[in-house]
Amino acid sequence: MTATAWWGAIAGVGLAIIVGAYLVAVADRAIASVVAGEPMRSSILAGPARSVALGLVQSRTTTERPDGAAWALAPALYLGLAAAALAVVPLSETLLAADIENGLVLFGAAQALAVIPVFLNGWSPNSILPLIGAFRFIAQALSYEMPNLLALLSVSVPASSLSIHDIVASQHGLWNVVRLPLGLPLFLFAAASLAFWGPMNLPDGADLAGGTQAETSGLHLVAWRAGRAAMLVAAAAMGAAAFLGGWLGPGLPGWAWMVVKTLVLLVLLVGSRHVAARVRAERYVVISWAVLIPLALLNVMIAAVVAL
Amino acid sequence: MIETPLAVDVAFWFFGVASVVTAWLVFRTDSMVRASFYLLASFVNVGVVLLLMRAEYLSLILILMMAGEMAIMAVFMVMFMMNPAGLNPMNMVHQHRASVAGGVATFVALGAVGVFARFPDRPARPTGVTFALGQELLGESMLVFESAGAALLATMIAAIALASSRGRYGQADDGSDAPAFDPDRPFGDAPPRPVASKHEEQAGKEGADDMHDMRNMDHERMA
Amino acid sequence: MSLQGALLIAAALFAVGLYGVLSQQSFVMIMMGFELMVNGSLMATVALWLWAAGGNPKGQVLAIVIMTAMAIEAAMGFALVTTIYRTRKADITEKLRRLKQ
Repeated sequence: MTATAWWGAIAGVGLAIIVGAYLVAVADRAIASVVAGEPMRSSILAGPARSVALGLVQSRTTTERPDGAAWALAPALYLGLAAAALAVVPLSETLLAADIENGLVLFGAAQALAVIPVFLNGWSPNSILPLIGAFRFIAQALSYEMPNLLALLSVSVPASSLSIHDIVASQHGLWNVVRLPLGLPLFLFAAASLAFWGPMNLPDGADLAGGTQAETSGLHLVAWRAGRAAMLVAAAAMGAAAFLGGWLGPGLPGWAWMVVKTLVLLVLLVGSRHVAARVRAERYVVISWAVLIPLALLNVMIAAVVAL
Repeated sequence: MIETPLAVDVAFWFFGVASVVTAWLVFRTDSMVRASFYLLASFVNVGVVLLLMRAEYLSLILILMMAGEMAIMAVFMVMFMMNPAGLNPMNMVHQHRASVAGGVATFVALGAVGVFARFPDRPARPTGVTFALGQELLGESMLVFESAGAALLATMIAAIALASSRGRYGQADDGSDAPAFDPDRPFGDAPPRPVASKHEEQAGKEGADDMHDMRNMDHERMA
Repeated sequence: MSLQGALLIAAALFAVGLYGVLSQQSFVMIMMGFELMVNGSLMATVALWLWAAGGNPKGQVLAIVIMTAMAIEAAMGFALVTTIYRTRKADITEKLRRLKQ
């Protein structure tokens, strides 16, 4: 890669994250007013910008003897992992930030590492409610990780490749959402869990007064929420590439198809917050281990049979 | 010999030294939680070095595996350590001088082997590494690969048998000490706790089963 | 970047791990030491695969076996720690005097 290509890739991923996170915030407000039956106000578009501006001028609160370095690291690491995960997803057949042989494994590794910043964000304030949130998230992460990785793995079998470019190309004619019907729901479940969004929000719930983000404020809180939104964007983009055929589609150019499919999944994920109640922690863990892991294994077996 | 650009050399030494420094900090830090995250940092640094050494798949799998393992380790810290939140100082070492001597001697011996031994100079091809690995795992080395799988299955069964809280003969902690830190009591010589708890005695014979069920529910909720 | 450099770093990782295993009292910290030792041997294996084995994929298979050993060590270690804590309420080695007999 030349230097120009490097800078182009970095700028592209950064832009995708900023625009994507803003879209998540806007979609969240828009879906909330649709569900509540209110008319759409113009404040929906400008609202997120106002929140960011408020965060920038708000003074930071702090706790007694926090681990300051780890606390500051948490949102940066979370955003960085979302960026790394997004970098391997191709926008079109030729437009791709990081074209590596093991793109799928890199995506999985970035998602697995995302446990760490969430735990750090809850542990380092040295405060009780965030700590409970952090431990809840570890229980949650250990439960969704297996279905998530198995669902990701299943798409590499028909493509006989771990490169996401090849995985999209292998869906020419038949998308994975039809070929492996269990894969996309499992993946979306894990995606919502990873960003602890909506029904899967165990660590940051209102019952913990905000959980891991109970003690954060100002710029830190803005970065933390942006990180969650970016993680949703990365997961939606990956879902579009791995299960909905990525850039494949008639008429429109490839990148337009990719954007449309990502937005559809993003609206599904964001909307889940306003139509579904939060699951209880123990029910979540039991469902993950006893129902979703067997389903995910079945999905891998279907993939193996399809690939034969 | 393999010719590499200067940037790769610099990155190699940076991440290599960083992996050793973070490994050292694991045993120097005050807090158990920090120790487990330093260990994770060491693994991620080694992962980057493996990436530079063209073992792309191994490097990413290592990072993926260790992220989950360190999360579990942090939970274990809080379950079993006397300093649950892990923000207070602690220092728990024994035979310190002998350990330092052992570590230094091992480093000198292994380092000397690494530096002075003569290894064959046959560098790997830079491309198609993952593909070749996949062919090997499901081809000639399939027996090795499957044995690893069987060993992991045996480990899962053994670990569940060891750690399961409810066995064939009831709760695993019946008859043992309640898990609490008690500084006055001598280590390891505590008298066993009677099987029936106070609640059950008060509830009488009819209520005993119900109370037992409720206690199990509490265990499940905490898990 | 050279074979010697990689082996030197691997030796340092192994030695730090050994120091931890010998010096720590807490079971979980001892397990961290073991992990570091395995980590060092993993790095040495990959270094030898890259520079001395001509890229034979069997070297990477060995690395995967090492990772499997690491996973087994961690799983069994955690299970044993849980069992010992349940039965003897011990979390450091000094509490296990009865094992001496």
